[in-house]
Amino acid sequence: MLEIRNVHKSFGNNEILKGVNLTVDKGDVVVILGPSGSGKTTLLRCINFLERADQGTATFDDMTVDLHKANKKEVLAVRKKSAFVFQNYNLFNNKTALENVAEGLIIGRKIPKEEAYKISREALDKVGLSNKYDSYPSQLSGGQQQRVGIARAVALNPDVILFDEPTSALDPELVGEVLEVMKEIAREGTTMIVVTHEMGFAKDVAKKVIFMDGGNIVEEGTPHDIFVTPKEERTRKFLRRVLPGEYDYEI
Amino acid sequence: MNSSFINTEFLIDTFFVALSGVPIALLVTAVALAIALPIGFFLALSRINEIPVLNGFTKVYVSFVRGTPLIIQIFVLYSILPLILAGIFERYEIDFPIYEVNPLWYAFVIFSFNTAAILVEVFRSALKTVNAGQLEAAYSVGLTTSQAYRRIIIPQMLVSTMPNLCTATINLIKATSLGYAISLQEITLKAKVAANVGYNYLEAYIDIFIVYLILCITVEYLFKVFEKRLSRYKAVATA
Repeated sequence: MLEIRNVHKSFGNNEILKGVNLTVDKGDVVVILGPSGSGKTTLLRCINFLERADQGTATFDDMTVDLHKANKKEVLAVRKKSAFVFQNYNLFNNKTALENVAEGLIIGRKIPKEEAYKISREALDKVGLSNKYDSYPSQLSGGQQQRVGIARAVALNPDVILFDEPTSALDPELVGEVLEVMKEIAREGTTMIVVTHEMGFAKDVAKKVIFMDGGNIVEEGTPHDIFVTPKEERTRKFLRRVLPGEYDYEI
Repeated sequence: MNSSFINTEFLIDTFFVALSGVPIALLVTAVALAIALPIGFFLALSRINEIPVLNGFTKVYVSFVRGTPLIIQIFVLYSILPLILAGIFERYEIDFPIYEVNPLWYAFVIFSFNTAAILVEVFRSALKTVNAGQLEAAYSVGLTTSQAYRRIIIPQMLVSTMPNLCTATINLIKATSLGYAISLQEITLKAKVAANVGYNYLEAYIDIFIVYLILCITVEYLFKVFEKRLSRYKAVATA
């Protein structure tokens, strides 16, 4: 359904992505792990054209775009097929929760207002915020803001939702509610690419886990492949750092 | 002749003379703002996005305006503009009495030129207060750049623009008093002309003070009301 081919990206002399390939099937939850600076976030941002790749292609079903040369129309087309959940939520500060969700529907997709608000209310209900329609982001907790962020992505009904470390900016006690919502939409069959440091989420929900390091995909497989029987030394080292106790136990 | 320190009767009469200059002062202010607001905004964008040529031009323009006294800008533009225009008109054989043009037109040009440069900096700092993530989020839900600016960035930017825009507007209103140098029929000129007759300068100056004070306090109040309305989304504390 989504095929990413040979993505390269440098910032100045610093090569962040060195030819990354990635295939995502419909309904899959793909979790990308890796140390900071490994290019996970940059990869997601390149798919959504928040960053211009130096090279590479993305194929959504029958539409292939060049991630470097795409014109405005192609960029908009790709953004219509994908949605993005940001680490810092990035809710529109001047809009209420409901308006945040509806904005992309009304302006981006030209859906009539009435219908857009109906879809938006349903999306907010789904993330458990049916009593916060009219709250501004400044009135919401981090966890609630991120749930609005997820509702904003879900409402667009995209082919794939890209999650960029959605819980990294949250207070620890608020992480759970956001992961719960993500699990819920994963169960409904939403295609998701998730960059995260939540190993529990990766183990429980991922169809495929990808380990990235130094701008390359080092290893990919099922959660079992990666967490229990990692083949690459770099993967093992990383896991030892992030899950010290569990790793010893698994050995 | 009134022997007291202040000629009260003249003070009151001249107050209304000064007041009759208010429409011109406000007209110049309004026109200058109307021209300078879009120019200032787009030049600010060109500074922030580092658009080649325009960025450099804007830097020089802003430094020039900020680094020279307004009264000298007025004198220079007032002398140079007619010369240039006369040259152009002569060349294309257009019969236009360039030296009889109402100074109001010069005032429009001069104050727009000056205010646009001030507003570049006002908008530039205001644009920087809006997090880059807001634009990215707008892109990610399928908005184009102009939609994102219209619906997300500018409404947020305006809130932090208001205090500085208010200062700029008030400075502009006060600066129109320099229009007397090019015989603009505004507050200061009218009051001074009235004072010339009997040397009642002190009374005239007091009147001028009062008129500007009333004008500026009113403008300040209007800006406050508007700012409050714009920042509704911020007003409420976190629950």
